[in-house]
Amino acid sequence: MNAFDFAAPTTVEDAVKLLGVPDAEALSGGTDLLGRLKDYASSPKRVVYLKDVKALAGISGDATDGLTIGAGTRLADVLADKAVKESYPALWQATLEVGTPQIRNMATVGGNLLQRPRCWYYRAGNGLLAVKDGKSLVREGDNRYHAIFETDGDALFVNPSSLAVPLIALGAKAVVAGPRGERTIAVEDLYQIPKSGKDSELTLAPGEVVTKLVLPPAKGLNASYEARQKQAHDWPIVLASVNLNLDDHKVASSRIVVYGVAPIPWRSKAAEEALAGKLLNPESAAAAAAASIAAAKPLSMNAYKVGLTQTVVKRALMVAMGNRYWEG
Amino acid sequence: MRKHDPKNGEEPGGASRRDFLRGSGLAAASAVLTGAATTALDEARAADDGPKVLSGEVEITLKVNGEDRKTTVEPRSTLLDTLRNRLDVTGPKRVCDRASCGACTAIVDGDPVYSCTTLAVTCQGKTIETVESFDVGEQGVPHAFHQNDGLMCGYCTPGFVTACKALLDKNPNPTLDEVRRGLDGNICRCGTYIGVLQAALDAAKAMKGA
Ligand SMILES: Cc1cc2nc3c(=O)[nH]c(=O)nc-3n(C[C@H](O)[C@H](O)[C@H](O)COP(=O)(O)OP(=O)(O)OC[C@H]3O[C@@H](n4cnc5c(N)ncnc54)[C@H](O)[C@@H]3O)c2cc1C
Ligand code: FES
Ligand code: FES
Repeated sequence: MNAFDFAAPTTVEDAVKLLGVPDAEALSGGTDLLGRLKDYASSPKRVVYLKDVKALAGISGDATDGLTIGAGTRLADVLADKAVKESYPALWQATLEVGTPQIRNMATVGGNLLQRPRCWYYRAGNGLLAVKDGKSLVREGDNRYHAIFETDGDALFVNPSSLAVPLIALGAKAVVAGPRGERTIAVEDLYQIPKSGKDSELTLAPGEVVTKLVLPPAKGLNASYEARQKQAHDWPIVLASVNLNLDDHKVASSRIVVYGVAPIPWRSKAAEEALAGKLLNPESAAAAAAASIAAAKPLSMNAYKVGLTQTVVKRALMVAMGNRYWEG
Repeated sequence: MRKHDPKNGEEPGGASRRDFLRGSGLAAASAVLTGAATTALDEARAADDGPKVLSGEVEITLKVNGEDRKTTVEPRSTLLDTLRNRLDVTGPKRVCDRASCGACTAIVDGDPVYSCTTLAVTCQGKTIETVESFDVGEQGVPHAFHQNDGLMCGYCTPGFVTACKALLDKNPNPTLDEVRRGLDGNICRCGTYIGVLQAALDAAKAMKGA
């Protein structure tokens, strides 16, 4: 790890000011950043510690008025929150198995959303797109954990945030503080598919800090389901979050978001369309799941993710219906 | 390694050391910059308009196992390396150094965390507990590990014992499933899990007998 300067502000204003120099990076729980520093995947000149900014942590509100979750709230505190558990189970279920108890004690919601990809070629110092001498290391190499959607371009990593998926399904907004004041954006707008090696997969401008996440009132049904290779110490392989608004048992509107399949949290419009206007039952869930994989273009080693995505999307919908048939 | 440049201690805008201390949530005098940087800071203190930026070597005080320990680190020094190499607290082990194995587990302000992935400068003013401070008598977690053959090579053991102690501090009556989940963040390459899980359950019982 290279040396860096360090500051620990106590207000958002000071944090933004301190981050307003070239090569500065925020530090919250450090479970992503410190690994990157040690691997020289990132080498900021200044690190600005956000956990002393007390205003960033904490959960307020309720299911009726909507919930506000500070970006500095630790994952362990998200899990301990009654409103999250009872009314936003999609978020609770997706947070439950993140990493390990130690990681959930350290990691914050903001850091989780803004953690950088775990693509091993990126982490080994080959750049975000891992293109070397005009060749994609991912496409030609070991891509078993990489994307199955949008694979025509060079961005083949997957977004690593478990929490982005339920937050997008729930329609959450991120409040961002920066040198030019405050703005509020949809959580999905934190992400983009980089077009060239110079782009980031994150859209925040230098110096911007996520201060809180605002969840709309909890109506309808929401749930998450994930498939993991290991039960601890690892990211999910595929995770799906669903949020359904019903009208007379029919799906009036829905959001279906999938993790582990694309360089951004993948909103499956195809699955949402398949479900629109349908009675919510195992048959319509299966049809939506089948639609979710229609556009998949897997790489050389990850075709297994296509079938897995179909199963995970279907099961997320079944969990929303309260039917965990595979456990019976 | 980059050379220490005392001039870096001044930016941005000549902020004060006092504010940095406040920012770190600790009382004044528990952290000071060394040498020339201190002078630069004293001069800058008058401005008092924002938190201090630290660079180079930093003197910090860590509360380890109930004792205030003063030492010098760099901002990039991890809590693990500081404990082991500066303070000779060698219970926490360095194995993966990537938040992935649990050997370095320490209890900070009551919560088990990976000390390999925590910066020492962020731990000032916090309570740090390591395996060195645990009760080694019959009521303690270490004894239960010994009784249950909860170790082979022993390298993961301090981390497991620490995670186990942190779990029982919060949940004195864990079920087997809660023990499994609570110790999820630790890995044993020798595969002593059966003994470890039983040790945790036995330690819970022994503590109540105390
Ligand atoms: C073994 C292991 C298993 C894991 N498993 C999972 C998993 O299953 N699912 C999952 O989602 N993650 C997983 N993770 C990743 C972990 O959850 C993230 O590293 C963590 O959530 C990041 O949060 P943090 O507070 O530690 O972020 P940090 O490491 O402190 O920061 C991460 C990034 O976010 C930026 N940042 C942090 N806070 C803010 C803010 N408020 N505003 C602007 N920028 C900010 C930082 O500058 C940095 O670039 C795992 C990690 C490990 C080591
Ligand atoms: S050494 Fe810290 S988790 Fe492995
Ligand atoms: S006893 Fe050897 S690693 Fe656990």
